[in-house]
Amino acid sequence: MPQNELPSSQRRTFLTVLLAGLGTVLGAMAAWPLLRYLSPRDRGDADTKVTLARDKVPVGGAEFIDFRGRPAVILQPKPGEFVALTAVCTHLGCIVKWVNEKQEFLCPCHGGRFSTSGQVLGGPPPKPLESFNIKLDGDQLVIG
Amino acid sequence: MMHAKGWLLAGCLLLLLPGPVFSAGEEAPTIPRETVCLQCHGGMEGRLGAPVGLWKQSIHRQNGISCHDCHGGDPTDFAMAMSPERGFRGAPEKAEIPAFCGRCHIGVKDDYLASKHGRALGKGGPQCVTCHGNHAVVKASPDLINDKDCTRCHSFERAARIKAALTDTDRIISGLERDLADLRRLGIAVKKMRGEVFAKRNEFHRLFHTVDVNKVHQGTAAVQKSLGEVATEVAGIRSDLSQRKLWGGIAIVLLLVAGGLCLLLRRTYHDEEGKG
Amino acid sequence: MLKRAVDWLDVRLGVRELWQENTSGYLVPRNINAWYSLGTVLLALFGLQFLTGILLLIHYVPDTEKAFGSVETIVNAVPYGWLIRNLHAVGSNLIVVVLLLHMLSVLFMGSYKRPRELTWLSGFILFNLGLGLCLTGYLLPWSQLSFWATTVATDAAGAVPVIGPKLVEFLRGAPSVGAPTLGRFFALHVVVLPGALMGLVGFHLFCVRRCGISVPPFGKDAKPARVGTVFDHEKHPGGIPFFPNYTAEEAAMVCFALAVLVAVTFFAPQIFIPLDALEPANPFVTPEHIKPEWYFLWAYQTLKIFPSKLIGLAAQGALMTFLALLPFIDRGEERRPAKRPLFVTCYVLGLLLLIGISIWGRYS
Ligand code: HEM
Ligand code: FES
Repeated sequence: MPQNELPSSQRRTFLTVLLAGLGTVLGAMAAWPLLRYLSPRDRGDADTKVTLARDKVPVGGAEFIDFRGRPAVILQPKPGEFVALTAVCTHLGCIVKWVNEKQEFLCPCHGGRFSTSGQVLGGPPPKPLESFNIKLDGDQLVIG
Repeated sequence: MMHAKGWLLAGCLLLLLPGPVFSAGEEAPTIPRETVCLQCHGGMEGRLGAPVGLWKQSIHRQNGISCHDCHGGDPTDFAMAMSPERGFRGAPEKAEIPAFCGRCHIGVKDDYLASKHGRALGKGGPQCVTCHGNHAVVKASPDLINDKDCTRCHSFERAARIKAALTDTDRIISGLERDLADLRRLGIAVKKMRGEVFAKRNEFHRLFHTVDVNKVHQGTAAVQKSLGEVATEVAGIRSDLSQRKLWGGIAIVLLLVAGGLCLLLRRTYHDEEGKG
Repeated sequence: MLKRAVDWLDVRLGVRELWQENTSGYLVPRNINAWYSLGTVLLALFGLQFLTGILLLIHYVPDTEKAFGSVETIVNAVPYGWLIRNLHAVGSNLIVVVLLLHMLSVLFMGSYKRPRELTWLSGFILFNLGLGLCLTGYLLPWSQLSFWATTVATDAAGAVPVIGPKLVEFLRGAPSVGAPTLGRFFALHVVVLPGALMGLVGFHLFCVRRCGISVPPFGKDAKPARVGTVFDHEKHPGGIPFFPNYTAEEAAMVCFALAVLVAVTFFAPQIFIPLDALEPANPFVTPEHIKPEWYFLWAYQTLKIFPSKLIGLAAQGALMTFLALLPFIDRGEERRPAKRPLFVTCYVLGLLLLIGISIWGRYS
């Protein structure tokens, strides 16, 4: 065999390099499925609309719902006027609470306060709550 | 050392051999259990015993439908087996047959009754068993429409046209059913697709009981369209599966090459061990 | 950078010395053969099994209502879930194959003899833990196969006199297999047995390393099995370094084993996933011809051969006890198979008998 004419140490270096290359390829072939397995799957709801019965949201009240995988809150500040806001506080991500008596949101974590339109009224939150489109379709509210 | 390796590999292969043995076994049909009906009638001669033998070859038996499912009665009680109190119905008169079979085959019954065949019921027209036979009911297939049977009453010409219209679709349906069974064997969830094909098959079989060539032609297009959707999905899964196999094959080759390289590496050390 | 980190560790823990002692300084017999790599193959396969098992755990739901569906989701909806699941299912079977080969090889070469009694004993317990993992894992998908195989397997314990029926109920956690069974099998399969296995593998490897690897009992190098009055690590002066010389061969065997695993996983997983495994469990309908997995067929058939289940169970117990205690029973010094005609005859006949009974069990 011709390779036997090479000193074994040289053959060894050659083989080691080949094996390292092969190992990398095999490693990548194993890593890809692993990554895909662990990655969150596309929920396919990036622009789905959520419907809610109108009478779930009383005037001056609030209804918390799941909107595209995150908590949201629906308000009816005045009869026939609806607002949809994210319920995730813009400070550190706690879920805001609706305080009926004051008609405003209070974040239970660090006391952030938001108005019915999501504006910051006080506390540490840096940004207003994001709002979503909402419209009335018959007796159903369509959000998104 | 190479010797030992050979044995080792042979050993691995040997141990893998019994493998396929354990995979044997077709999808087991649900065979109906032994009932008192079968016990008595099985031993009888002539008119009263014949149905048992005929039924044994039937699609009803394959699907677990036994005597009492049609004729009523109590299949567990010798004394009361044929008592009307236990819902025994006996055998229907000719004109009652469509109602008798139609208790299960509802859709088909409706279309049949509205058809020329159905409207001639009791006036010499055919009913279910005229074509499908009784007891030895076989899986419905286009073969049931044939020169010999149809010309018992009328010319085969119209029937032949209906047969031509349904043969294609029927082939698609049985092909899909086979494909889905294959996929299921591999663990692919095919329940939904199976349901769709089954529903379409029913719809389609209803359709040609109208024995109205125009209706059959119209309905066929719609049925074929939804079957086409299932076929596309099956083709997608198939191509996924061959893609997988391709990558699996590549991985196997790479692993074998890596193993070979490791052995060569071992050889480089081995050569030095001799000197040392 | 790396060197600095190693230096830091070396000063404190002497890692370089440890590494040297266990790699190039660890000499193994010059005539060592490929059978000695099976232990490493097992380590690799178990490692992979742990990995795929943990990954399955992310989506698996141990609830009788949801278990089957969750496995179906893994196989059909989760990206590459089919790969993880099939690797785990096929891997378990391959592990049993390699366990048997490892056991048969150390048996044939007489490596179980003193001073390696504890290596053998711990290995034998590992074998049983492995089978236990297979048995408990089998139930988890909650398919017809899982349900009825477990019903039959736990039912066998009913043959034990007096406490039999109580024992069956204890194993199942209920009069018949149900949610309590799934609960306890799940706990066993994912926590108790893997934990015990890991601990015992550690002990097993400790025994192997502490005794020193045995010399293959072939040719002029063969040595008798003997212990003195004081501990003596079996050194192999003039042997070859474990690393890198022998590990190259082990790496090759691991690659080949993985190739077999990938081949079955991609091209014939249905060998180990029969139709009944694709049907959700139905406690009211026993499928026809329910058979245990191939590695339990011998036990299944012995229960049927003997006139009473109790005798069958006792025979099984006797065989297992005999094998577990073999090094304490077979105390001869001779390890060369050529010089042990009686042993080799029993070995071959015993093996053929087990294979024969298994095939009988399969087709009966
Ligand atoms: C989890 C399962 C097991 C693992 C991970 C394992 C691992 C190992 C390893 C790495 C070795 C050293 C190299 C070799 O000879 O292969 C070894 C040796 C050994 N194993 Fe195992 N083993 C397992 C199961 C078993 C079983 C089931 C038995 C027998 C009942 C057994 C008996 C032995 C014996 C007697 C040796 C000493 C061989 C010698 O020194 O020549 N092992 N095992
Ligand atoms: S998280 Fe809401 S105020 Fe800090």
